[in-house]
Amino acid sequence: MPKTDERVHLDEAVSLDRPWVTVVWDDPVNLMSYVSYVFRSYFGVPAEEAERLMLQVHNNGRAIVATGNRESMERHVEAMHGYGLWATLDQAEE
Amino acid sequence: MEFSRDESGTVSAMFEPIEVDLLRQVSGQLIRMLQSIDTENPETFTLSNVSRLLPAAYPDDAEASAEFRRFTADGLLEGKIANAGTVLAGLGDEPVPDATLHDPLPVPVVLHPAQVQSWLRTLTDLRLVVADRLQVDPNGVPQLHDEESQVLGDVYDWLGMVQESLVYAIDA
Repeated sequence: MPKTDERVHLDEAVSLDRPWVTVVWDDPVNLMSYVSYVFRSYFGVPAEEAERLMLQVHNNGRAIVATGNRESMERHVEAMHGYGLWATLDQAEE
Repeated sequence: MEFSRDESGTVSAMFEPIEVDLLRQVSGQLIRMLQSIDTENPETFTLSNVSRLLPAAYPDDAEASAEFRRFTADGLLEGKIANAGTVLAGLGDEPVPDATLHDPLPVPVVLHPAQVQSWLRTLTDLRLVVADRLQVDPNGVPQLHDEESQVLGDVYDWLGMVQESLVYAIDA
Protein backbone atom coordinates (compact mmCIF):
# COMPACT_ATOMS: atom_id res chain seq x y z
CA MET A 1 0.00 0.00 0.00
CA PRO A 2 1.47 3.41 -0.95
CA LYS A 3 2.51 5.67 1.84
CA THR A 4 0.11 8.49 1.00
CA ASP A 5 -2.87 6.20 1.42
CA GLU A 6 -1.68 5.19 4.83
CA ARG A 7 -1.52 8.81 5.84
CA VAL A 8 -5.06 9.43 4.61
CA HIS A 9 -6.30 6.48 6.61
CA LEU A 10 -4.48 7.63 9.67
CA ASP A 11 -5.99 11.13 9.38
CA GLU A 12 -9.46 9.71 9.09
CA ALA A 13 -8.93 7.50 12.10
CA VAL A 14 -7.73 10.46 14.12
CA SER A 15 -10.62 12.68 13.08
CA LEU A 16 -13.10 9.92 13.88
CA ASP A 17 -11.71 9.71 17.37
CA ARG A 18 -11.93 13.40 18.07
CA PRO A 19 -15.35 14.19 19.45
CA TRP A 20 -17.53 17.05 18.29
CA VAL A 21 -19.07 19.72 20.48
CA THR A 22 -22.23 21.82 20.39
CA VAL A 23 -21.42 25.45 21.14
CA VAL A 24 -24.03 28.03 22.16
CA TRP A 25 -22.99 31.64 21.63
CA ASP A 26 -24.01 34.74 23.53
CA ASP A 27 -26.36 37.05 21.68
CA PRO A 28 -27.85 40.31 22.86
CA VAL A 29 -31.41 39.26 22.04
CA ASN A 30 -32.25 36.11 23.93
CA LEU A 31 -33.28 36.55 27.54
CA MET A 32 -31.17 34.81 30.16
CA SER A 33 -34.27 33.21 31.65
CA TYR A 34 -35.19 31.76 28.25
CA VAL A 35 -31.69 30.39 27.51
CA SER A 36 -31.68 28.71 30.89
CA TYR A 37 -35.14 27.30 30.20
CA VAL A 38 -33.99 25.86 26.85
CA PHE A 39 -31.05 24.06 28.47
CA ARG A 40 -33.37 22.57 31.10
CA SER A 41 -36.13 21.54 28.78
CA TYR A 42 -34.03 20.27 25.86
CA PHE A 43 -30.97 18.75 27.55
CA GLY A 44 -32.90 17.83 30.67
CA VAL A 45 -30.20 19.22 32.97
CA PRO A 46 -31.06 20.32 36.53
CA ALA A 47 -31.84 24.00 37.07
CA GLU A 48 -28.45 24.70 38.65
CA GLU A 49 -26.53 23.23 35.72
CA ALA A 50 -28.72 25.09 33.22
CA GLU A 51 -28.04 28.31 35.11
CA ARG A 52 -24.29 27.62 35.15
CA LEU A 53 -24.22 26.99 31.38
CA MET A 54 -26.36 30.07 30.70
CA LEU A 55 -24.02 32.26 32.77
CA GLN A 56 -21.04 30.77 30.94
CA VAL A 57 -22.65 31.77 27.63
CA HIS A 58 -23.42 35.22 29.00
CA ASN A 59 -20.05 35.92 30.63
CA ASN A 60 -17.63 34.06 28.34
CA GLY A 61 -19.49 34.62 25.09
CA ARG A 62 -19.94 30.90 24.50
CA ALA A 63 -20.35 27.56 26.22
CA ILE A 64 -19.97 23.96 25.19
CA VAL A 65 -23.32 22.40 26.00
CA ALA A 66 -22.81 18.91 24.58
CA THR A 67 -20.04 16.59 23.37
CA GLY A 68 -20.35 13.52 21.18
CA ASN A 69 -20.33 12.27 17.63
CA ARG A 70 -20.91 14.59 14.72
CA GLU A 71 -24.36 13.30 13.90
CA SER A 72 -25.77 13.83 17.37
CA MET A 73 -24.13 17.26 17.65
CA GLU A 74 -25.79 18.24 14.36
CA ARG A 75 -29.11 17.17 15.87
CA HIS A 76 -28.48 19.35 18.92
CA VAL A 77 -27.49 22.35 16.80
CA GLU A 78 -30.61 21.93 14.71
CA ALA A 79 -32.71 21.78 17.89
CA MET A 80 -31.03 24.93 19.25
CA HIS A 81 -31.81 26.74 15.99
CA GLY A 82 -35.40 25.63 16.45
CA TYR A 83 -35.38 27.40 19.82
CA GLY A 84 -33.79 30.47 18.24
CA LEU A 85 -30.46 30.08 20.01
CA TRP A 86 -27.23 30.80 18.15
CA ALA A 87 -25.51 27.42 18.10
CA THR A 88 -22.67 25.94 16.06
CA LEU A 89 -20.73 22.71 16.05
CA ASP A 90 -17.03 22.25 16.18
CA GLN A 91 -14.50 19.53 16.65
CA ALA A 92 -13.22 19.33 20.21
CA GLU A 93 -9.70 20.61 20.78
CA GLU A 94 -7.12 17.89 21.17
CA MET B 1 -50.59 41.19 30.79
CA GLU B 2 -49.03 38.68 33.17
CA PHE B 3 -49.10 34.92 32.74
CA SER B 4 -49.89 32.56 35.60
CA ARG B 5 -50.20 28.79 35.70
CA ASP B 6 -52.91 26.62 37.22
CA GLU B 7 -52.54 23.05 38.58
CA SER B 8 -53.28 21.46 35.20
CA GLY B 9 -50.28 23.23 33.65
CA THR B 10 -52.42 25.63 31.67
CA VAL B 11 -51.08 29.18 31.62
CA SER B 12 -53.24 32.19 31.06
CA ALA B 13 -53.11 35.96 30.95
CA MET B 14 -55.38 38.87 30.23
CA PHE B 15 -54.26 40.83 27.19
CA GLU B 16 -55.32 44.33 26.34
CA PRO B 17 -57.12 44.38 22.99
CA ILE B 18 -54.31 46.50 21.58
CA GLU B 19 -51.81 43.81 22.65
CA VAL B 20 -53.81 41.08 20.92
CA ASP B 21 -53.93 43.20 17.81
CA LEU B 22 -50.20 43.86 17.92
CA LEU B 23 -49.25 40.21 18.43
CA ARG B 24 -51.56 39.15 15.59
CA GLN B 25 -49.98 41.68 13.28
CA VAL B 26 -46.36 40.83 14.02
CA SER B 27 -47.01 37.06 13.99
CA GLY B 28 -48.69 37.38 10.61
CA GLN B 29 -45.75 39.39 9.32
CA LEU B 30 -43.34 36.79 10.69
CA ILE B 31 -45.19 34.00 8.87
CA ARG B 32 -45.06 35.92 5.58
CA MET B 33 -41.37 36.67 6.08
CA LEU B 34 -40.59 33.01 6.84
CA GLN B 35 -42.63 31.84 3.84
CA SER B 36 -40.69 34.21 1.59
CA ILE B 37 -37.33 32.65 2.48
CA ASP B 38 -36.00 30.77 -0.53
CA THR B 39 -33.84 28.00 0.89
CA GLU B 40 -32.76 26.93 -2.62
CA ASN B 41 -30.87 30.17 -3.07
CA PRO B 42 -27.57 30.22 -1.10
CA GLU B 43 -27.60 34.05 -1.22
CA THR B 44 -30.63 33.96 1.10
CA PHE B 45 -28.45 32.98 4.03
CA THR B 46 -26.26 36.05 3.68
CA LEU B 47 -29.25 38.25 4.60
CA SER B 48 -28.76 39.31 8.21
CA ASN B 49 -32.27 38.45 9.41
CA VAL B 50 -32.21 35.00 7.79
CA SER B 51 -28.69 34.24 8.99
CA ARG B 52 -29.76 34.79 12.59
CA LEU B 53 -32.88 32.63 12.29
CA LEU B 54 -30.89 29.92 10.51
CA PRO B 55 -27.26 30.50 11.54
CA ALA B 56 -24.29 28.79 9.92
CA ALA B 57 -23.75 25.54 11.81
CA TYR B 58 -20.05 25.46 10.90
CA PRO B 59 -18.66 28.99 11.34
CA ASP B 60 -15.41 28.21 9.50
CA ASP B 61 -16.74 25.83 6.89
CA ALA B 62 -19.13 27.29 4.34
CA GLU B 63 -19.49 24.01 2.50
CA ALA B 64 -20.43 22.03 5.60
CA SER B 65 -22.82 24.82 6.65
CA ALA B 66 -24.52 24.69 3.26
CA GLU B 67 -24.84 20.92 3.54
CA PHE B 68 -26.30 21.26 7.04
CA ARG B 69 -28.83 23.77 5.73
CA ARG B 70 -29.79 21.52 2.87
CA PHE B 71 -30.94 18.98 5.42
CA THR B 72 -32.36 21.26 8.11
CA ALA B 73 -33.49 24.65 6.77
CA ASP B 74 -36.84 23.60 5.30
CA GLY B 75 -37.83 21.65 8.40
CA LEU B 76 -36.77 24.45 10.74
CA LEU B 77 -38.73 27.00 8.73
CA GLU B 78 -41.81 24.78 8.68
CA GLY B 79 -41.56 24.48 12.45
CA LYS B 80 -41.21 28.23 12.89
CA ILE B 81 -44.18 28.91 10.62
CA ALA B 82 -46.28 26.32 12.48
CA ASN B 83 -45.31 27.90 15.82
CA ALA B 84 -46.38 31.35 14.69
CA GLY B 85 -49.62 29.79 13.43
CA THR B 86 -50.17 28.34 16.89
CA VAL B 87 -49.72 31.80 18.39
CA LEU B 88 -52.29 33.23 15.99
CA ALA B 89 -54.70 30.40 16.81
CA GLY B 90 -54.21 31.00 20.55
CA LEU B 91 -55.25 34.60 20.07
CA GLY B 92 -58.56 33.47 18.62
CA ASP B 93 -60.29 34.96 15.64
CA GLU B 94 -62.67 37.25 17.47
CA PRO B 95 -62.31 40.81 16.27
CA VAL B 96 -60.63 42.75 19.06
CA PRO B 97 -62.73 45.43 20.73
CA ASP B 98 -62.11 48.81 19.23
CA ALA B 99 -59.06 50.18 20.99
CA THR B 100 -60.39 53.69 20.56
CA LEU B 101 -63.26 52.84 22.92
CA HIS B 102 -62.86 53.96 26.46
CA ASP B 103 -61.57 51.07 28.60
CA PRO B 104 -62.05 48.18 26.16
CA LEU B 105 -62.34 44.84 27.98
CA PRO B 106 -59.18 42.72 28.29
CA VAL B 107 -59.03 39.50 26.25
CA PRO B 108 -58.25 36.19 28.03
CA VAL B 109 -55.41 34.19 26.45
CA VAL B 110 -55.29 30.56 27.63
CA LEU B 111 -52.42 28.27 26.62
CA HIS B 112 -51.95 24.53 27.05
CA PRO B 113 -48.40 23.24 27.69
CA ALA B 114 -47.89 22.30 24.01
CA GLN B 115 -48.92 25.79 22.89
CA VAL B 116 -46.53 27.40 25.38
CA GLN B 117 -43.58 25.84 23.52
CA SER B 118 -44.72 27.45 20.28
CA TRP B 119 -45.29 30.79 21.96
CA LEU B 120 -41.82 30.86 23.52
CA ARG B 121 -40.18 30.01 20.20
CA THR B 122 -42.22 32.49 18.20
CA LEU B 123 -41.56 35.28 20.68
CA THR B 124 -37.85 34.49 20.23
CA ASP B 125 -38.07 34.51 16.44
CA LEU B 126 -39.99 37.79 16.53
CA ARG B 127 -37.39 39.37 18.79
CA LEU B 128 -34.56 38.15 16.55
CA VAL B 129 -36.20 39.68 13.48
CA VAL B 130 -37.03 42.96 15.22
CA ALA B 131 -33.52 43.14 16.75
CA ASP B 132 -32.07 42.80 13.27
CA ARG B 133 -34.26 45.65 12.00
CA LEU B 134 -33.26 47.82 14.98
CA GLN B 135 -29.60 46.93 14.44
CA VAL B 136 -29.23 45.88 18.06
CA ASP B 137 -25.52 45.87 18.89
CA PRO B 138 -23.70 43.15 20.90
CA ASN B 139 -24.52 45.07 24.09
CA GLY B 140 -28.21 44.92 23.30
CA VAL B 141 -28.51 48.60 22.34
CA PRO B 142 -30.42 49.48 19.15
CA GLN B 143 -28.30 51.49 16.71
CA LEU B 144 -31.16 52.51 14.45
CA HIS B 145 -32.76 55.78 15.44
CA ASP B 146 -35.61 56.95 13.29
CA GLU B 147 -39.35 57.40 13.71
CA GLU B 148 -40.13 53.76 13.07
CA SER B 149 -37.44 52.51 15.44
CA GLN B 150 -39.15 54.18 18.39
CA VAL B 151 -42.29 52.11 17.90
CA LEU B 152 -40.30 48.99 17.01
CA GLY B 153 -38.22 49.42 20.14
CA ASP B 154 -41.38 49.41 22.25
CA VAL B 155 -42.61 46.30 20.44
CA TYR B 156 -39.23 44.63 21.04
CA ASP B 157 -39.35 45.36 24.77
CA TRP B 158 -42.96 44.25 25.03
CA LEU B 159 -42.22 40.93 23.28
CA GLY B 160 -39.42 40.37 25.80
CA MET B 161 -41.77 41.11 28.66
CA VAL B 162 -44.35 38.60 27.38
CA GLN B 163 -41.66 35.96 26.99
CA GLU B 164 -40.18 36.54 30.43
CA SER B 165 -43.64 36.38 31.99
CA LEU B 166 -44.30 33.10 30.18
CA VAL B 167 -40.99 31.55 31.26
CA TYR B 168 -41.60 32.55 34.89
CA ALA B 169 -45.17 31.23 34.77
CA ILE B 170 -44.15 27.75 33.64
CA ASP B 171 -41.25 27.72 36.13
CA ALA B 172 -43.46 28.67 39.04
